[in-house]
Amino acid sequence: MKIVAVVSAKGGVGKTTVCANLSAALGLRGHPVLAVDLDPQNGLRFHMGLGTEAAEGIAAATLARRNWREVCVQGPPGVSVAPFGPMNESLRVAFEHVLANDPAAIRRQLGYIGLPADTIVMLDTPPGASIYMRQALTCADMVLVTTLTDAASYATLPTMHELIHHYCGGSGNFVGYAYVLNQVDRSRELSRDITEMMRADLGDRIAGIIHQDQSVAEALAFNRNVLEYDEHCRATHDFIQCAAWIGAQLQSQVTAS
Amino acid sequence: MSTRPDAPTRGARRVVPVHEVNAQIKGRVLNVFDQAFWFNPLVRAVLIIGAAILFGIAVTTPLEVWQQALFSIIMFVAALVIRRVAGQFAVVSLIVLSVTASIRYMYWRLTSTVGFVDPLDMVLGWGLVAAELYALTVLLLGYLQTAWPLKRKPIPMPADNSTWPTIDIMIPTYNEPLNIVKLTVFSALALDWPADKLNVYVLDDGRRPEFKAFCQDVGAGYITRDNNLHAKAGNLNWALARTSGEFVAIFDCDHVPTRSFLQLCMGWFLRDKKLAMLQTPHFFFSPDPFEKNLGTFRSVPNEGELFYGLVQDGNDLWNATFFCGSCAIMRRGPLLEVGGVAIETVTEDAHTALKLSRAGYNTAYLGIPQAAGLATESLSAHIVQRIRWARGMAQIFRVDNPIMGKGLALGQRLCYANAMLHFFYGLPRLVFLTAPLAYLIFGAQIFQAPALMIVAYALPHIFHSSLANSTIQGRFRHSFWNEVYETVLAWYIMRPVTLALINPKAGAFNVTAKGGVIDQAFFDWTMARPYLVILLLNFVGICFGIVEFVGGDVDARTTIVVNLVWALYNITIACASVAVAAESRQLRTTPRVSASLPATIMLNNGKTIVCRTTDFSQQGLGITLPQGVTVPTDQDLHVCVFRGEEEGVFPATVVYSKGQTLGLRLDKLDLQQQSKFAQITFGRADTWAENWGHASVDTPLGALREVSLIGMRGMKLLSRSLYGASRTKISTSLANRSSVSKR
Repeated sequence: MKIVAVVSAKGGVGKTTVCANLSAALGLRGHPVLAVDLDPQNGLRFHMGLGTEAAEGIAAATLARRNWREVCVQGPPGVSVAPFGPMNESLRVAFEHVLANDPAAIRRQLGYIGLPADTIVMLDTPPGASIYMRQALTCADMVLVTTLTDAASYATLPTMHELIHHYCGGSGNFVGYAYVLNQVDRSRELSRDITEMMRADLGDRIAGIIHQDQSVAEALAFNRNVLEYDEHCRATHDFIQCAAWIGAQLQSQVTAS
Repeated sequence: MSTRPDAPTRGARRVVPVHEVNAQIKGRVLNVFDQAFWFNPLVRAVLIIGAAILFGIAVTTPLEVWQQALFSIIMFVAALVIRRVAGQFAVVSLIVLSVTASIRYMYWRLTSTVGFVDPLDMVLGWGLVAAELYALTVLLLGYLQTAWPLKRKPIPMPADNSTWPTIDIMIPTYNEPLNIVKLTVFSALALDWPADKLNVYVLDDGRRPEFKAFCQDVGAGYITRDNNLHAKAGNLNWALARTSGEFVAIFDCDHVPTRSFLQLCMGWFLRDKKLAMLQTPHFFFSPDPFEKNLGTFRSVPNEGELFYGLVQDGNDLWNATFFCGSCAIMRRGPLLEVGGVAIETVTEDAHTALKLSRAGYNTAYLGIPQAAGLATESLSAHIVQRIRWARGMAQIFRVDNPIMGKGLALGQRLCYANAMLHFFYGLPRLVFLTAPLAYLIFGAQIFQAPALMIVAYALPHIFHSSLANSTIQGRFRHSFWNEVYETVLAWYIMRPVTLALINPKAGAFNVTAKGGVIDQAFFDWTMARPYLVILLLNFVGICFGIVEFVGGDVDARTTIVVNLVWALYNITIACASVAVAAESRQLRTTPRVSASLPATIMLNNGKTIVCRTTDFSQQGLGITLPQGVTVPTDQDLHVCVFRGEEEGVFPATVVYSKGQTLGLRLDKLDLQQQSKFAQITFGRADTWAENWGHASVDTPLGALREVSLIGMRGMKLLSRSLYGASRTKISTSLANRSSVSKR
């Protein structure tokens, strides 16, 4: 089992979209994938074709001391989804209390599921520093930082860097962290310039560049991932390319160890 | 085996310096398996004398017809067997067989076939002998030049780029349009080299204000002078005096460098401090007139490929690489030391390299296309360019003969001599194209020997040289094409070469016109005149021959057949040359380059389509869409083209749409976008290398069929044009007559 935490320093960068589409792309590559929604907004399921009916999720399962396996549902081909589940305020506080007291809670819960050894677990987290992000970073084998190519996102890169250094490495097999540049549009001068700056700064830590693409938003409206919705669009190809990069990185770590 | 560390390793070529070997020899028992054994001076002397004696016997022993035939067949079978073996040893063996057959033929030719009595026989006969001697000399020098290409590999630059030298890129221009020069300047500015160590200069002998403005806008230097003395050479020298980079890279204004050019080429200059000039191939992204008019672009190696694919690599072994005026780097110090770019001849480039070699500097050739340019567009322009080269080489032969003078090694002298001799092919080629007529029409006995004897001696000479050259030249020149290329040019270069030999100072410098448009296909009657005459003569010769065969002396039939076959071959070659004169239409002013590059279309509604390009030009792109996707015409959109992670986005309009094929016109790119487009298309490092030397390998019979088919096409074109011309003439005369009768 390899745990990939998808994080971002600020909201609205399309992190859940990235997590969902990367999960689908990894699933297409033949990896068994479990996409776990660690965000109380419980939004991941919309990207996974799971509909709007309120299914039970991992938060309630944890509090009820039940195996997460029971709340996993089938998503796109090769992908299982563990939704966060509907929440009220008292439940959320109780769940966060569990996470606060046990930094390894999520890794342990994932272990109980009994996933096949080659499974890739994709953790979607709420934006910014939170107890969820801390858990995710602590147990992650790889961290994917999602960022836009705008000035505000560029400014948050050091914060994210600091958080990663503070929390990561706990899994013992930490592969490293990488960046996914989202909604890149190089026909706009600012996006182009910041993309180039980030490419220069981040070098081979760029896992992928996802282009601005109307089909991504449309796919969500149709309750699907973009790979299923529009196989010929740029974003689909970008996600597939990024998934290949992630697969190769995790693979090289396996062969190295 | 491990006890002999100096044993040559299989496959790898390990060259041990002679002094090292001599040291090893001392105090050791000689062993034939030792490399040292073969370096022993005594062993070498014995071997050389032995080989010379054997060679002398093989060349001079007279044989009866059937003996000679048997000897030839055995040799030829041996050659065919050897040809199946790959590698340099096989090549050298084929050369040895070919040299033996050819010298044996020439020995016999000079001792047994020249007993001329009749004065006509004597004049024509010795004329043919002279042409044959020329061809043999060029053949032998060619073997020397190409037997062992050096195939130099690039040397990586040191990681610390603070130690890299400063380089001036010089782009001389005279009358070429700005949009062609722009491409070169953009790509030169984008070369992968530290920005503070790279200066790009446009040397504008046309002194055009729009060039100056453009250079200022993009950050290139702009140098002009108040005269045009010594054309390109003078232009470069003027700029040399006004710049100071340690190295000078020269690009013709229509040769677009790829970004990797400097990094790939400069390594050798750091390794070899005596290296003064490094040349790379001239690669063309548009078809030359041969390729265009014969439809052989990228399928048959063109005229230049032999030179850049093989000859230059062979020259490099002898430290005799020629400077070809563009796509090359020179070290400023040595260049200034020999007085800058040579101005005495019209081929200033080759002459400059010769001077550098004389001054004791090294030259190098790196056979990786790192720049590409426009080929000459019409047959007439092509001929004008070749006339200049031929004239220039003849001039150098006169004013600075490489065989004489000091400072050159023997190998260098021979390479240069061959380069110059090569351009004297005009007259000999015409002799070969008309030689059978001497017998067929005039009944002259230019061979004083029985026909079968001639066949038994001459065929091995022809077959072995064809076989050896086909093996050596394989991917770079197909058999028989040499004849076509030479026949097209022979008449035109003969006169200027002869004139230049007599008076090297006569004549002026010509600039080759490039980037032209040919509105309508037409047959260039003026240019084709020499081939038509040759064609007609051989045709008449064949008629005479047939009449003679049917009604004449029975004993002479073999001789007639030999001459008929020869004349038929000449007709084929002449017809192929005629086909070159049929100029096909050329509408695009900027050429299209076929290339499948990753791309994406961004529609105005925000949707995207991942696709690939089929071709690009400065003004547009061809696109293949994925199955089932269409985009209507007249749509405005953006198109992204990728080079790895790098990406350029350009505004475009759909001007053509049919099924999955789109034609995009790039709309009013600003300077920055133009520059980006140049970098991401023409400037790609991988663009040209992929197409280099990948033409199909030569098979002599396949090539003969190729040339014959083209010959038939030429015949068809000719008859159609004749028919068309006569019809116009008849209708005009009819019209005239009717107007007369009305009166």
